[in-house]
Amino acid sequence: MHIVVCMKQVPRDNSVKINADLTINADGIEQIMNLFDEYAVEEALQWNEKLGGKVTVLSIGPDDWKEQVRRALAMGATDSLLLSDPAFAALDVLGAARVAAAAIKKLGDVDLVLCGRNSTDDESAAFAPALARLLGWPQLTYVGKIPALEAGKIVAERHLEEVIETVEASLPAVASVIKGINEPRYPSLLRIRKVAKVEIPAWSAADLGLTSADLAPVLNLAGRVPPPPRPKGEMIDGASAAEKAARLVDKLMEAQVI
Amino acid sequence: MNFDLTPEQQHIRAEVRRFAEQEIAPRARHVDETGEFPAETFRKMANLGLLGLPFPEAYGGAGADSVSAAIAIEEVARACGSTALIYSAHLGLGCAPIAMFGTEEQKQRFLRPAAEGRHLGAFALTEPHAGSDAGATRTTARLENGHWVINGAKMWITSASVAGHLIVTAVTDPGERHAISAIIVPAGTPGLSFGKPEAKMGLRGSVTNAVTFEDVRVPEENLLGRRGRGLQQFLAVLDGGRVGIAAMAIGLAQAAYETASAYARERTAFGKLIGAYESVSNMIADMAVGLEAARLLLYQAAWLKDQGRQYSREAAIAKLYASEVGEKTCRDAIQILGGYGYSSEYPLERIYRDQRLLTIGEGTSEILRVVIGRQVLGEFVGR
Repeated sequence: MHIVVCMKQVPRDNSVKINADLTINADGIEQIMNLFDEYAVEEALQWNEKLGGKVTVLSIGPDDWKEQVRRALAMGATDSLLLSDPAFAALDVLGAARVAAAAIKKLGDVDLVLCGRNSTDDESAAFAPALARLLGWPQLTYVGKIPALEAGKIVAERHLEEVIETVEASLPAVASVIKGINEPRYPSLLRIRKVAKVEIPAWSAADLGLTSADLAPVLNLAGRVPPPPRPKGEMIDGASAAEKAARLVDKLMEAQVI
Repeated sequence: MNFDLTPEQQHIRAEVRRFAEQEIAPRARHVDETGEFPAETFRKMANLGLLGLPFPEAYGGAGADSVSAAIAIEEVARACGSTALIYSAHLGLGCAPIAMFGTEEQKQRFLRPAAEGRHLGAFALTEPHAGSDAGATRTTARLENGHWVINGAKMWITSASVAGHLIVTAVTDPGERHAISAIIVPAGTPGLSFGKPEAKMGLRGSVTNAVTFEDVRVPEENLLGRRGRGLQQFLAVLDGGRVGIAAMAIGLAQAAYETASAYARERTAFGKLIGAYESVSNMIADMAVGLEAARLLLYQAAWLKDQGRQYSREAAIAKLYASEVGEKTCRDAIQILGGYGYSSEYPLERIYRDQRLLTIGEGTSEILRVVIGRQVLGEFVGR
């Protein structure tokens, strides 16, 4: 079984600044593997341990994104692929899905693509569905459990707000996983050492046969402002804990919270 | 000249930091308050490969260098002093002597399980009458029908009662004052007993025991290194241990420094952030300078060790400086937080108590000054 995990590198916290041209300035903020993608990597590794085959971790980004790709290798991924080209700098989600789809087609023997349900920076949650559509494969979103995976077939639980749906699809397929599907492992320090110098293959737009028309954004960013700051909390004072509690209850009732 | 960590060292720092923040830091207060040995944490550390980090893969280790090991101890200490002490003592005292002086069989039998994290190692040197003056050791080991028979008492032994093996120093050739040897004693050997855990100012999650040996018999082949060379071996071991303590001091101080810096950016007094007052920002500047200098000394000592060069002097300097500047950093951090610094509701007072050992353990500041002074001025000093 060949499982591909699509992985994105994101800023560790959301204290980013917005540049004049509306791009995000994450200077000085540590870059980490997107939280949900970590679950996707773990899920791929667990199935790989049962079924054998390959786990290829795939990412789209500049050269320094190799750090998180390397982390996935240290967790246990068998193969890696960085899709890197100056032309990929301003991709929107559809463009990113086109790039990933071209790479997955070029890989040829892929059975399953796992993604995180969304990235914690852009939060569009549209990447996996777009990818499935472009590949023409079944899409399974919000996957909280994969009870069965075998040649040609996947059974997945979709954990939705009100219900858990069990769905079955033929392979190849694209699935996006949610937090809690597993407990991602820490990469072992021995493996971190071993993969520190591994050469990560990189494919460019030309390698993928993509033209600038394929990469042109269809979504134009009209504005980007930070959300309004959270209003300051109110400290409740009083002579005793009981008095403070009484005042708190009054306030909550006033606000019709209780 | 190159001051950059290698990519491998950077990755190890990032991963250990992440692990320590998620798995170790949340338990630090509990570990301090209850004195409970953090067994679950150590199981997870074993999975990560932390417990054998600097030892060869052939003996269950991760094959990393000494700089990486120092970084790992630093990051663990930034999260929890008790865990860092247990960890540092395991690597530097419980395992390193076997890696340095052990036979192939001893490495397979004792180093491998310890490096894989199946058990902890401990080193029993200090005695009621022999601390800094290790030559005054009174514990004896006599050879009898192919076995060492060990008798005596040790004190202040880190992790003694939770370790899977103890490396014990004992006089093997009475009459000659320095004829001390090191012998490996597996846990559970009859005649081996432990005092109840010492009550301590800090590092309370790290068990410290007195150890008594009453006719403890181990096979002759448990002699570690050369007979009668225990003291010289121990001095070499201690150089590595000092690098570990320096790393620990820096990790604890880093935590105090980060807490104080964050507070100085948040807390206002008289209409201004307190960081805007020079008396506060000067303290923070001094912390930054101290940490930076201590780190350079630490990595230099560890790097020299990795090059296979002499590093006794640099290890002593790094340990002395880092432990003293670390203590000052914790003290000033408490000063900046005021009541919150003094309160047990917040971590600083714990970090301060934890830090306090580090000018004492593995060579007091006073002994280290003697060591460094003698190297500068020659042997006549103090004679």
